Amino acid sequence: MKRVAIILTALVFLAFQGISHADEIWFGAALSLTGKLAKEGNLVKNGYELWKETVNKKGGIKIGGKNYKVSVRYYDDESDPNRGAKLVEKLITEDKIKLILGPYGSESVFATSAITEKYGAIMVQGGAAADKLYTRGFKNLFGIYTVATEYMDDTLEMLKDKSPKPETVAIVYSNDLFSAQVAQGAKASAEKYGYKIVFYQDYPKGTQDLSTVIVNIKGKNPDIILGCGHFQDTVIIVKQLKDYKVNPRALAFSVGPTLSDFVESLKGDSENVMGSAQWTSTLKYKDPVFGSNQEFVKAYKAKYNEDPNYHSAGGASAAVIFQKAIEKAGTKDDISKIREALSGFNEEIIYGKIKFDKTGKVIGKGMPVIQIQKGAQRTVFPEGVAESKAVYPKPQWK
Amino acid sequence: MIILQILINGLLLGAFYALIGIGFSLVWGVTNIINLSHGAIALLGAYLTFFLFQTFRLDPFLSIPVSFIAMFSFGYLLQRYLMNFVVKAQIFMLLILTFGLEIFLVNFMTTFFSADFRSVTPSYAGNSLVLGSIVIPYIRLAVFSICVIIAVAMALFLDKTWPGKAIKATSLDIEASMMSGINPAKIYALTFALGSGLAGVSGTLLTLTQAFSPSIAGGLTLRAFIVSILGGLGRIEGALIGGLLLGVLETFSSYLIGESYKNAIAFGLMVLVLIVKPSGLMGRKYYAEVKH
Repeated sequence: MKRVAIILTALVFLAFQGISHADEIWFGAALSLTGKLAKEGNLVKNGYELWKETVNKKGGIKIGGKNYKVSVRYYDDESDPNRGAKLVEKLITEDKIKLILGPYGSESVFATSAITEKYGAIMVQGGAAADKLYTRGFKNLFGIYTVATEYMDDTLEMLKDKSPKPETVAIVYSNDLFSAQVAQGAKASAEKYGYKIVFYQDYPKGTQDLSTVIVNIKGKNPDIILGCGHFQDTVIIVKQLKDYKVNPRALAFSVGPTLSDFVESLKGDSENVMGSAQWTSTLKYKDPVFGSNQEFVKAYKAKYNEDPNYHSAGGASAAVIFQKAIEKAGTKDDISKIREALSGFNEEIIYGKIKFDKTGKVIGKGMPVIQIQKGAQRTVFPEGVAESKAVYPKPQWK
Repeated sequence: MIILQILINGLLLGAFYALIGIGFSLVWGVTNIINLSHGAIALLGAYLTFFLFQTFRLDPFLSIPVSFIAMFSFGYLLQRYLMNFVVKAQIFMLLILTFGLEIFLVNFMTTFFSADFRSVTPSYAGNSLVLGSIVIPYIRLAVFSICVIIAVAMALFLDKTWPGKAIKATSLDIEASMMSGINPAKIYALTFALGSGLAGVSGTLLTLTQAFSPSIAGGLTLRAFIVSILGGLGRIEGALIGGLLLGVLETFSSYLIGESYKNAIAFGLMVLVLIVKPSGLMGRKYYAEVKH
């Protein structure tokens, strides 16, 4: 009996030694490290790890004059949102961690944030863009991705001041949930900025031909063509617009141009096509932890030997915001104070100038607009952080 | 005028569908194998073309023979040393086998070529023949011509050459063909090889008009399936007509009803054909029917 008691005591000590260590602050994350979202999940984790390393090098997180080293406990949700939810429950109830860094993917964030809300823990996420995350009345979820319905807003805002002024917009979208939301948002934005919508139609996801849609658009001769779909359809739209000699003054997509395969696939035909980006490596923002976006990119390359993309930058940004809020709240345990600090958050970080609305959704960050210029992605909007001027009107197809 | 443009678009698209369908229909009609890995084999041809273009700047049209020979050999080996062992088994065993092969090939491609979407854009892409208000993209016109030429060549091969006649004889009556000195195992392998070779060619042409990744394999097989049902099994002219019909049907339903309904309409027509004329529009009793 005595031996059992000793072993049990030892086990309890072993289990708690990491967590109850006085000078440490623990974060938890249940991410997709294997499975279909493994690529993105690991990129977000890279962002968290780089942040942890950078903060700890500077002495850690400062709360009330005392420095705490950052530790993160990771679990692998195997790309299954339900498993993610169970693991977050484990983080909160067994590991006693209430500061949760978000996973990648709208479904995973949707499932896991319900658990953090239930247990009064708090989540900051840089990995999901669905509007529905913020319509559940949750208090303890904060997200830094611009939501789907706002994807095309900045592009339309930028174009309205160009001359010759574009008057008409054609919108085509893939009939999946995300793309449909992007298209609805684009339509609302176009109406807000006073454009006339001359074409608004969906097409089946993964279609192999859009010639009829293109011919119909050609008949309307729109000044702007917006495509809200996925990489495969984006390539088909560009190819067939050129085939049928449709020459809008601006051509923009929600998904596609920001991916490096875009130029590789379309070569010269990708030139001057615009795209919306959550983040780009050339944005000129300052950052309280990394110094600036440029320095973040440099540090990332040094550590991982590859360029960061918006997934890893999103992870790092969520963590930075979490850290600043905890420092401002002056506590690592009082969740309501940390929530207050997040609600009042208003700082420039690598992802942009971040503020949250009442639902925890980022506002005013926008979607930087990129344009393919001479075979490379160039940030062309917002003007303060742009690398080069947008080419407008788009030259006719050669 | 726009109706004429839609019709041309449909025919140009349909020729591509026909090419995917010809190989699939031939294999199904002769060997009674519903080759669910047909789309995946087409994608192997597409990747071959993509890498040849990327590494050696080889024009996609010039890599057609390369794809054909490579996939022909692949198909021959596959039939000779894998399928022939189960060809006499129940049709479900064959379905499961080709389905397994599809899963294997798709995952093989995902692992080694990544899940990224690829496309080939040669310098002349996007040039079109403009006749008044009618636009005919040169690449699609070339794809159309190649598909028609291949269909005619295949029909001649089956009608005029000894191996072609042997293929037809085997599909007609396997016992009788054996008595005339035909080795069905070899004929089956030849048929499967031809089907795979044609899939490879359609993969090559696919790289020019759209973006592809391993994930679209199933969608391609599905098109081949519809084309075969519409046209009738085992008949080259059937697959050609089936493909063109499918293309025109898609563009017209997209124009008249809406882009997002085109799949529903294509499948609806397939079901209708199965009810009204199960042997397909061009199917004859002489040719393959679904055997038991």
